Amino acid sequence: MKKYLITLFLLTAGMIAFGQSTDPLVAQCVMNAGPNTKYLKDFRIQLGKAQAPGEFRYKTQMSLWKNTRYKFSLCTAEGSEGELVLTIKNDANQVVLSSFDSNTGKTYKSVELVCNRSGIYQLNYDFKDGLQGSGVGVVSMVK
Amino acid sequence: MKGTAFLFMILITFTCLTCRNRSNSDSQFVFPEEDTIPLDEAEKLSTEAIEEIAKNISSPVEIANLLQTLAVPFSPEYLASSVDPNRQTTSFDKAFTLGILGADLGYLNMYEKTGSSIDILSSIRKLAEGIKVGQFFDFETIKRLSLSKSNLDSLLFMSIDSYTQIDKYLRDNDRGQLSALMIIGVWIEGQYLATQVMTEYPDPVLRDRIGEQKIILNDLILLANPYCNRDPEFGELCRDLQEIKQSYRDVKITYTLGEPVSREVDGALIVEQTETSVVEMTDDQLKDIIEITESVRNKLIANN
Repeated sequence: MKKYLITLFLLTAGMIAFGQSTDPLVAQCVMNAGPNTKYLKDFRIQLGKAQAPGEFRYKTQMSLWKNTRYKFSLCTAEGSEGELVLTIKNDANQVVLSSFDSNTGKTYKSVELVCNRSGIYQLNYDFKDGLQGSGVGVVSMVK
Repeated sequence: MKGTAFLFMILITFTCLTCRNRSNSDSQFVFPEEDTIPLDEAEKLSTEAIEEIAKNISSPVEIANLLQTLAVPFSPEYLASSVDPNRQTTSFDKAFTLGILGADLGYLNMYEKTGSSIDILSSIRKLAEGIKVGQFFDFETIKRLSLSKSNLDSLLFMSIDSYTQIDKYLRDNDRGQLSALMIIGVWIEGQYLATQVMTEYPDPVLRDRIGEQKIILNDLILLANPYCNRDPEFGELCRDLQEIKQSYRDVKITYTLGEPVSREVDGALIVEQTETSVVEMTDDQLKDIIEITESVRNKLIANN
């Protein structure tokens, strides 16, 4: 019982300290990445409804390094009409990964990439079907 | 009964603090304005291009993580401990040193030497206040997280996020030269750390990571270029970066092609790249890179 309470207390204290000075959705998304990860970066995305669904609208870049396992967590804010999705392209504009399977319609809340090619990658975020929404994409390293 | 009462007390405390945090967080809405989509490459203004470049520079946390993976022991010898924030008089010195100490903080945090990071945190606060960005560095929370050693994730987030906010604020307020200096400082210290460890603990993975820095070195130079004629200090820094670039001139990075392989494990998607990057770098080239990095970094630290 005592051990349980101490664990609960430490966990609570960490969450409180974390939540004090950042957006709750970002804090939650970082915590959701899991205990075996280390935070690297986050992208905060807010988009209206697209005129026509198509190319992902929020584009950003990031260097990814060989021999590193990355985790891309996707968190959609309450009240969003669409779910946050991600595709990553290499410098040759080829899709390396997508959190959305267009064949099955399945979406993943996180995707891990075992990176074997160092380079600058393009991270493309949008909300599924070009719908309106806000969300956070967190990039972490997996231990 | 005693246990239940204790649990109840914790829950009450948590509820109160959560309420307080909510109002605090609400006042710090951090999403960008709706539809703030980065423009296409061709349409980018130079400040936007700089923002993209800044994102490409690898985090010192990644270098420190690699060192940990390779079981390299922690050493305070690699840190820029000699830097005295009170001796930084110009904005150039303050911003550059802020970058150097940011990388050191990442190294300390990753090795969970958080108790030792208090001195560096104090210096960072002083430097940040010196260039009027102290409001973005939540010193008290970071210090508390460092001392409690209870939540490394939160500590990493808070530290990195503070730097990200400082960087953004500087660029948004036409002080891009200070943002560039901070980013260059972070990179030089990360590169110094990697190359120094390489001399003591040679490893092929670390060797490749040093060689791969060629990928972002051009970006780093692009970041500095608009300010090279601004003042003699910046001019010298630009020449130093060119010297480092020169040491990478004959390093080759080649790629083997392959389709990524996806698999689902317990409902999670894992993608493994089969395409690879290969670094071709001779021992002499590596030695040259190590020496130039050390000389440039130590000169810049000594100037401070």
